[in-house]
Amino acid sequence: MSVPRQLEFFVDPSRCIGCQSCVQACSECDTHKGESMIHLEYVDRGQSVQTVPMVCMHCEQPTCAEVCPADAIKRTGDGVVQSARKPRCIACGNCVMACPFGVPELYIDRQIMMKCDMCYDRTSVGKKPMCATVCPSQALFFGTRAEIDALRPQSTPTNRFRFGSQTITTRVNVMVPRSKSPPLMLDVTAAMDERPENRNVRLNVVGNSPSTIEPMLDPFAEVEV
Amino acid sequence: MAKIPVDELSIIQAYGPHLSASIRGTTSDEPEKLVKTHCCFCGQQCGIQLKVRGNDVIGFEPWDEFPFNRGMLCPKGVKRYLQGSHPDRLLTALQRDPTSPSGFRSLDYEQAIARAATEIARLQQAHGHGAIAVLGGASLTTEKTYLLGKFARVCLKTPFIDYNGRLCMVSAGAANKKAFGIDRVTSPWSDMIGTEVLWIAGSNVAECSPITTNYVWQARERGAKVIVQDPRITPIARTCDLYLPVRPGRDAALFAGVLQLMIEHGWIDREFIEAHTSGFEQVADYCRAWTPARTADVTGVPERSIYKAAELWGQAKSSFLLHARGIEHHSNGVQNALGAINLVLASGRIGKPKSGYGTIVGQANGQGGREHGQKCDQLPGLRDISNPDHRKYIASVWGVEERDIPGPGVDAYELFRKIDAGEIKGLISICFNPKISLPDSGFVARALDKLEFYAAIDFFLNDTARHADLVLPGSLQEEDEGTVTQVEGRVIKINKAIQPPGEAREDWRIIQDLAQALGRPKGFTFAGPREIFEELRIASKGGISDYSGITYDKIERQMGVFWPCYANDPKTGAPTPDHPGTPRLFEPDSFNPIAKGAGRFYFADGKARFNVAEHRTPVDDVDDSFPLFLTTGRVVSQFLSGTQTRRIGPLVKQYPTPRIELHPRLAQKLGIADGDWATCETRRGTITLRAMVVTTIRPDTLFIPYHWAGEKSANRVTVAAQDPISKIPQYKVCACRLRKADAAPGYDAKLEAQQ
Amino acid sequence: MTTALLAVLIVAGSRNLAHFDAALVGYTFATLFATFGITYRYAMWLERPPTRMYWRRGWQFFLSPRELPRNLVTATKRAVVEFAGNRFIFRRGVLRGLTHWLIMWGCLVAAAITFPLVWGWIHFETVPGDIESYRTFVFGVAGGEFPVDSFMAFVIFHGLVWASFLVIAGVMLAFRRRMIDHGAAAVQQFGEDILPLILLLAISVTGLMLTVSYTWMKGYAYSFLAILHALTVIFTLLWLPFGKLFHVFQRPAQLGVSFYKEAAARGEQAHCRRCDAPYAGAVMVRDLVTVERELGFRYELEGRAEHYQQICPRCRRAMFGLAQASLWTGHTASSED
Repeated sequence: MSVPRQLEFFVDPSRCIGCQSCVQACSECDTHKGESMIHLEYVDRGQSVQTVPMVCMHCEQPTCAEVCPADAIKRTGDGVVQSARKPRCIACGNCVMACPFGVPELYIDRQIMMKCDMCYDRTSVGKKPMCATVCPSQALFFGTRAEIDALRPQSTPTNRFRFGSQTITTRVNVMVPRSKSPPLMLDVTAAMDERPENRNVRLNVVGNSPSTIEPMLDPFAEVEV
Repeated sequence: MAKIPVDELSIIQAYGPHLSASIRGTTSDEPEKLVKTHCCFCGQQCGIQLKVRGNDVIGFEPWDEFPFNRGMLCPKGVKRYLQGSHPDRLLTALQRDPTSPSGFRSLDYEQAIARAATEIARLQQAHGHGAIAVLGGASLTTEKTYLLGKFARVCLKTPFIDYNGRLCMVSAGAANKKAFGIDRVTSPWSDMIGTEVLWIAGSNVAECSPITTNYVWQARERGAKVIVQDPRITPIARTCDLYLPVRPGRDAALFAGVLQLMIEHGWIDREFIEAHTSGFEQVADYCRAWTPARTADVTGVPERSIYKAAELWGQAKSSFLLHARGIEHHSNGVQNALGAINLVLASGRIGKPKSGYGTIVGQANGQGGREHGQKCDQLPGLRDISNPDHRKYIASVWGVEERDIPGPGVDAYELFRKIDAGEIKGLISICFNPKISLPDSGFVARALDKLEFYAAIDFFLNDTARHADLVLPGSLQEEDEGTVTQVEGRVIKINKAIQPPGEAREDWRIIQDLAQALGRPKGFTFAGPREIFEELRIASKGGISDYSGITYDKIERQMGVFWPCYANDPKTGAPTPDHPGTPRLFEPDSFNPIAKGAGRFYFADGKARFNVAEHRTPVDDVDDSFPLFLTTGRVVSQFLSGTQTRRIGPLVKQYPTPRIELHPRLAQKLGIADGDWATCETRRGTITLRAMVVTTIRPDTLFIPYHWAGEKSANRVTVAAQDPISKIPQYKVCACRLRKADAAPGYDAKLEAQQ
Repeated sequence: MTTALLAVLIVAGSRNLAHFDAALVGYTFATLFATFGITYRYAMWLERPPTRMYWRRGWQFFLSPRELPRNLVTATKRAVVEFAGNRFIFRRGVLRGLTHWLIMWGCLVAAAITFPLVWGWIHFETVPGDIESYRTFVFGVAGGEFPVDSFMAFVIFHGLVWASFLVIAGVMLAFRRRMIDHGAAAVQQFGEDILPLILLLAISVTGLMLTVSYTWMKGYAYSFLAILHALTVIFTLLWLPFGKLFHVFQRPAQLGVSFYKEAAARGEQAHCRRCDAPYAGAVMVRDLVTVERELGFRYELEGRAEHYQQICPRCRRAMFGLAQASLWTGHTASSED
């Protein structure tokens, strides 16, 4: 049993509405029932309702696996980086600290690391992962490249990420604006000093026609207290 | 005698809300069957499959094929299965008993029915038929709402029936009837994809109708510009193209200002207005005074944004406008909705593909529940209870004399005023928790205390039912079958997954058992929902919401049928067994039985009506002593009064207890920090909750979610002002002031988060 | 080297092979090979940068003079609770804990009996002049005596039977889980998860059949069964260094890790360079940076952090979202190929 190569995961955090359907659905998955493996957090709730869903990106050369002293993290032939093998994992937490996307979690009481395994119980038998199935904004999407191409004319997937001098290639894709060709690499660490704003996506980016509207940084600037 | 029998804490200890387990079943469980049905919560009515083993729902599986949601679910849908097999579930009838530690004792179901009948008969003999009132709900299946309306009018012979849709969809319904002659969303949601402009007025789509979010995003991918009108930057407002930060209670003014700019710039479809509408000139006259400057001054929306909205909306070739409780929950609710409709009609795009208009219903059967006769002024098929022809037809279906059908009753809140005044002595309620959901809930509680007899039908002991003399154990949604009509006007089928446990009964059985015990069983001998639906088809026939062509089989075959669906062609009268239903209203060549070919709209002349949508300042508006606006609403993990969702562990964990949202600038002025206890005070009373300091709300406005009970209930402080036409309460605005609390509230140490 | 050492010990333990049972020579060579394999694999494993780092750090913190007495106590306590008792597995599920506990103790008991016997480290002789008593010899040195028909003798001579009962019960529970648990079924692999169970079951069953054969069936098919049993055991031994059962040797690293982590938790904490919240022991972060460099990763940064490792996981997730959002708002968190 393996996940068919043509089926891919596409994430568009901009779409996320923070509803936690993914979190609630994830805990129904048989490989980790009762525990949710997906992260969903406000970037800074005081400033914005912006949220980020984070599934395992399934790196081609997983840092977590390389730094595992117990050799417990394996990538199966279908490109899925599996949760730690239970007999081997010694719960050291190296993977938790090393993952560039901040994905694995340590369960100290059970002396095990667990992480998103792309709902292997579902995807390996032809179903979609729980999170991507239920996601009401489809910030999480699972399907073929042809499907995503047809559904998202404004967006295009990328699976390359930059962290300082390191480039990471993953099985999971992130949606970026299609207008920006050639294909992009998402520079994660360039966002080091970014802070969320209470309004994010603006007219002059989404859509083809240029618009005259100026981005209004704080819509409440004129409201008196 | 409907006073709470013992202190509330003792009742809570016995009957909850307690939390369900966080999951059910193990990784080895094999379900015996998967039941295709729908979520029990909001009006989206997402398709879902329930995993059933024995008489337990042990989990869910997404239903990818159902066209509306294609497997998508919000967190409530994901965890809805946990409401069954719950420790708080009522398995027997209960009788008020102040000597029992929990305040209630169990009694035999038959005894409970007999006692209820005796009490009802006694009160009606002494005080007349109108001494008994019935309250229903919009989460019931259409079959149940139909039966309940018939029960009130035929068996109890009381005019006093109303339902909790009064708190939800009535402003939009009234406005729709005034403008279009029909009360339904014009188009399926799929028409949003490909539209040029999408205007979302007063709807926190992401939290209240999450599945609609994907339609919005798909519309954007196809190039749609999104306009959001809201005092809060909700998740959908965060990323929208144009955000209109409207001051609470000023929506009609905003619509008037936008329409004025459209008229000035010629961004209206004169041809359409001329040919298909009436009343435009009066509206134009009214709007003339709404200059951009005045509109900006009243609404708090910057002039440039008002202009941009008019430009975007006015110049588009296709458009979709959605509104929800944000503009409807007002003493000016009908006017607000009419203001939105005027923009739609002036655009001339209604009835075209990729264009549409509608209200996003809030409750499971918000649409179906308002069509077939539990509303105080309606008879089945959206018929009018004051119209002699309508009465005659329904009398013939019911086999009663027309004169025996009572006239119009009063709205749900007025009904409590009548209880307070002693005119109504007895109450039967189902699917309604007014002690939490009605405004100024202190008054509601005092009124409940005055009832001589109160019987509540419910599956959990809800907060209002704590006052009951008798509680009859009803059914969860998954324990019965029937139809509901979801947000798009699509009639869908709820399928039965399990049997009601213990002594619990399907609600329609309880209603029929009461009729039987009252000695008036005629018309209440249905063998099941299917038979009720067959009668409903006939009763709705010829009405505006005509279900005559809908069958359970057709619903399952087509995965839903959009009403009207005719058994006989309205033009020729020929039988149309294959009538597919009507996904899109007002199409250019459409024929409807009211206009009879005169036009597309549901009036004799076939023309839609412009209505002057007047801005009126809200009742209880801000002043020097109460300088802040208070607005209320939902969070995504809870539903309505929380009777179900405050019992589902993982949903409670997601947002355990209400908080007061306020802007950091206001917080700084008041010396309140994030997480501090803060007291919000209105003219009705106070509520003390933790503060949540966020830049995503107008600095002159507070927000409190309304799903909690007792001292955490937002409706302790809201105002009981109502719209003069729809009677919807003004939940979305009242005047308040805020201060840092002197100490943690008393409830904090006594109660769990959800209680 | 370990293999040679074991060989020497075998020779010494069996008093120059005087008490060495020649029939067991196959077993002996298999164990010698397994020892070689395990040592080799262990050495290779320790060569990996992260393992080496943790190994060194584990011992370093364990042996630090100030902490050693306390560490010894803690290590003993943990060995009993976590290893002997399998507490951490019981926390994953009572049945799973029981399964592992049964298999583990079955195997340990069997190994404790078999290997010394095979290598001739233990043998029994009748006590001269008392035909009714056995004397135990450990490494050729006489130990205690006990009567032949005593309960004690019954228990000792049937030790392998009891062990096989434990293993069979455990393996059955494990098979049950692997057949009905959807989660386990999704990720299990034959070689990794099923084969070891089959081997353990085969060893136990063939071993039991030997007992059955000589006890009740007058040695029916004894030699065939003996060969079969030998084959299962030898195959398992040969496979030991390569498969799942190698975790028996790896797992004690858990103890070392716990000392490292505790020392790190007591020491200086690393504060995230983005949000300033403490998120891990500073020593662990430094070590991980070293390991990542050794492995060829280049997470070096400029600006407020020198290395990506100095950013906490929560901020990493936030930055991921912010970087993607900034593409849509026209900021510059992207770089072209």
